[in-house]
Amino acid sequence: MTNVRTRTRIASVAGAAALALALSACGGVKTASGGGGDASGGSDYPTKSIEMTVGASAGGSSDLISRAMSKGMGQSLGVAMPVVNKPGANGALVAKALQSAAPDGYSIAIQNASLFAITPLAVSESEAVKVDDFDIVYGVSRDDYVLATNPKTGWKSIADMKAAGKTIRYGTTGVGTGAQLNSALTFATAGIKATAVPFDGGAPNLTALLGAQVDVSTMQVGEAIENIRAGKLVPLAVFSADRVKFLPDVPTAKEQGFDVQVSQYRFITTPKGTPQAVKDKLVEAAKKTFATEEYKKFNEQNNLTPLEIPGSEVATKLKADLESNTAKLKEFGISLASNS
Amino acid sequence: MDFTPIIDGFGIVLQPTNLLYCLVGVVIGMLIGVLPGLGPAATIAILLPITYGIEPVSAIIMLAGIFYGAQYGGTITSVLLRLPGEASSVVTVFDGFAMAKQGRAGAALGIAAIGSFIGGTVSIIGLSVLAPVVAGYALDFGPPEYAALGLLGVLLVSTVGNGGKLKAIIAAAIGLLIATVGRDSFTGAERFTFGNLNLADGIDFVPIAMGLFGLGEILYNLEENHKKVHAPAKVTKVWPSRQDLSDSKGAIARGSGIGFGLGVLPGGGAVLSSLVAYAVEKRRAKQPERFGRGAIEGVAAPETANNAAATSSFIPLLTLGIPANATMALMFGALLIQGVQPGPQLVDTHPDIFWGVINSMYIGNILLLIMSIPMVGVFVRILKVRPAILAPITALITMLGVYTVNNSVFDIYLVIVFGVIGYLMKKFGFDPGPMVLAFVLGTLIESSARQSLLIFGGDPTGFLTRPISGTILAAIVAVAIFPLVRRAIRAKRGEPAGAPAPTEASPAPVPDRETTEAK
Repeated sequence: MTNVRTRTRIASVAGAAALALALSACGGVKTASGGGGDASGGSDYPTKSIEMTVGASAGGSSDLISRAMSKGMGQSLGVAMPVVNKPGANGALVAKALQSAAPDGYSIAIQNASLFAITPLAVSESEAVKVDDFDIVYGVSRDDYVLATNPKTGWKSIADMKAAGKTIRYGTTGVGTGAQLNSALTFATAGIKATAVPFDGGAPNLTALLGAQVDVSTMQVGEAIENIRAGKLVPLAVFSADRVKFLPDVPTAKEQGFDVQVSQYRFITTPKGTPQAVKDKLVEAAKKTFATEEYKKFNEQNNLTPLEIPGSEVATKLKADLESNTAKLKEFGISLASNS
Repeated sequence: MDFTPIIDGFGIVLQPTNLLYCLVGVVIGMLIGVLPGLGPAATIAILLPITYGIEPVSAIIMLAGIFYGAQYGGTITSVLLRLPGEASSVVTVFDGFAMAKQGRAGAALGIAAIGSFIGGTVSIIGLSVLAPVVAGYALDFGPPEYAALGLLGVLLVSTVGNGGKLKAIIAAAIGLLIATVGRDSFTGAERFTFGNLNLADGIDFVPIAMGLFGLGEILYNLEENHKKVHAPAKVTKVWPSRQDLSDSKGAIARGSGIGFGLGVLPGGGAVLSSLVAYAVEKRRAKQPERFGRGAIEGVAAPETANNAAATSSFIPLLTLGIPANATMALMFGALLIQGVQPGPQLVDTHPDIFWGVINSMYIGNILLLIMSIPMVGVFVRILKVRPAILAPITALITMLGVYTVNNSVFDIYLVIVFGVIGYLMKKFGFDPGPMVLAFVLGTLIESSARQSLLIFGGDPTGFLTRPISGTILAAIVAVAIFPLVRRAIRAKRGEPAGAPAPTEASPAPVPDRETTEAK
């Protein structure tokens, strides 16, 4: 019988925790409904814990970045900032949830540029997430893409790949990702015949390239760097304006004559209509986090380049990226969705 | 081979702190393995923040302990409650639960613990010796090989389960259909999502398994309650008899090999390996009709194989930096948090972590064996609780567990829907096993086959010309045709006396209607 009691206790503790969660969630809504007419306008913010949602499962780079930021910002603001993973639909689930959350600064998220600037090109209008539906608080960091090949091919540059004169099979990390867009644009600009082979995320894509199942793959620098250093992958190009400092010997696509530079970047967002005073406090906390040695080290370890710019600049950049991506795809007659 | 780093690795594991973390890990693992609904992936995700403050080696040792500890614990619920906590324990249910109903739960759990220990240990030895070598071999498995493997898996699905063969095929077909729900990962088109973003990524394994097996079983039992006593009165002998041991000897040996081999493959071999190990035993058996009715080999083989596979699934992570399954993906994340990048260089740059983790598994397996034999009795007492008390608690924990995986209320609704489906299936004599397994394999087959065709430039003969996929496909044809040929030969010679004439297509010697429980 002792065992039963233990189980019951576990269940009741868990139940109490769930109840507490539910209650705090209700509390959030209540605060919100009164929040609009709140005279303080967020000057006493924050008075309770802030929930940071991540549209990816635990362990990925989005999750790690959110956790690093929540740790620093929570300390700076003096409240807990729990990270809640809600993976699904490339982060669109979190976007929808955040959009309808109360704009009181107690629901925030770090979101990906690809969801705003690339995914809309691959999914239906109703699913596309729009920049104007959120308040963008501040930029966080940038993650660059690298085009790599298996050493067996013997290629060292995009030109080598073109000289091979065959239809290139390239792996991507999925439909509507920066990896796919970068590759598709490169092949179109270079006039190389190519077929995309989409994989479900970074790991299977990497495996396929290591096993030479595909000729080349585009992936984020952090995903490829260990294998590049070990000589198991040969980088052909990075897709950024300047060389990536973690791979200083790898020329950019632009240096090789192909102006393709799509990168992934992340930024802090809140629901539309969050009071300015609240956003200012979040910015201040983010800046304090950026300045810590611990956070700088985190960026280094994860091959992330800081992109610590104001939210308005991020919004402008996102819109410009979406426009240029749309225009380029049109120019070359590429469709991300139909897998051409 | 230089043994110094291996010995240094033991030095690291035997430090009191690390021993303690290893113990904590396996105890948590066993506990969450027993609690239906809360899997190792969810637990590791929840504990991830705690690992910030722990030394990298200790943290990974603890998390690894949770992972393989859960494989032990999952068996207990599979056998006693018919609730597999993980996909890899699904097949254990068939004979494990049957044994429990015959009052032989103790022997089933005992043999599972012994098999798990042997399988795990064989796999660790393999991991120590082969880790560097296997790296290259695993990479020869590309999409065409996975497509072929998946097909083989579906073929095997139709031979497991204890409903009729036709019902198994119907259930498997529904499983394959459910696997197509979600955004088409090749074109971005929505399939069966009804505009619901929650369905965009398809349906998760966890709510399906928890609904069909967990809630479905609870509902079904509530109905059956007054008719019969569900739980075996008590577990008499945990230590299997000499007869049991000699019966399962071969199953454990083959399970170790199958588990180790399939577990290495990136993409997750624990499910396939338990399935293959079970099917192999059933095929080899002199009296295959014993399977599904409490054959001890039917417990020993899959339990050995899934533990062996759990251990060998560390190989792609530690040697290539490729997580083989969801739990390994979390391990990957945990290593990254610690500033350790898993990859081909790990063994050189962080030999302490590489060998520390591997060697901790030797210790962890011994701890688990020591714990599970005496503790089985404790867990068995859960069964003495009246279903009226146990059922709501289990249902609650199931719901909480499902919620914690993705923090999604939608998943709770899914569990309820699949719970009702599972209840109806049981009521009408369908086994949910083939449905769940086909669901798991469906996505693999579809995406691998389509990736393969893209790689081949649309030429399907590519499947046959690649050595590994060609061999697997040949094996599929052989497995499918062999029983037909045998039947044809038998028919020619005239039915041997004593064997009832098979009236419906029954390629494998499977007991058909008589085992359908609901009748």
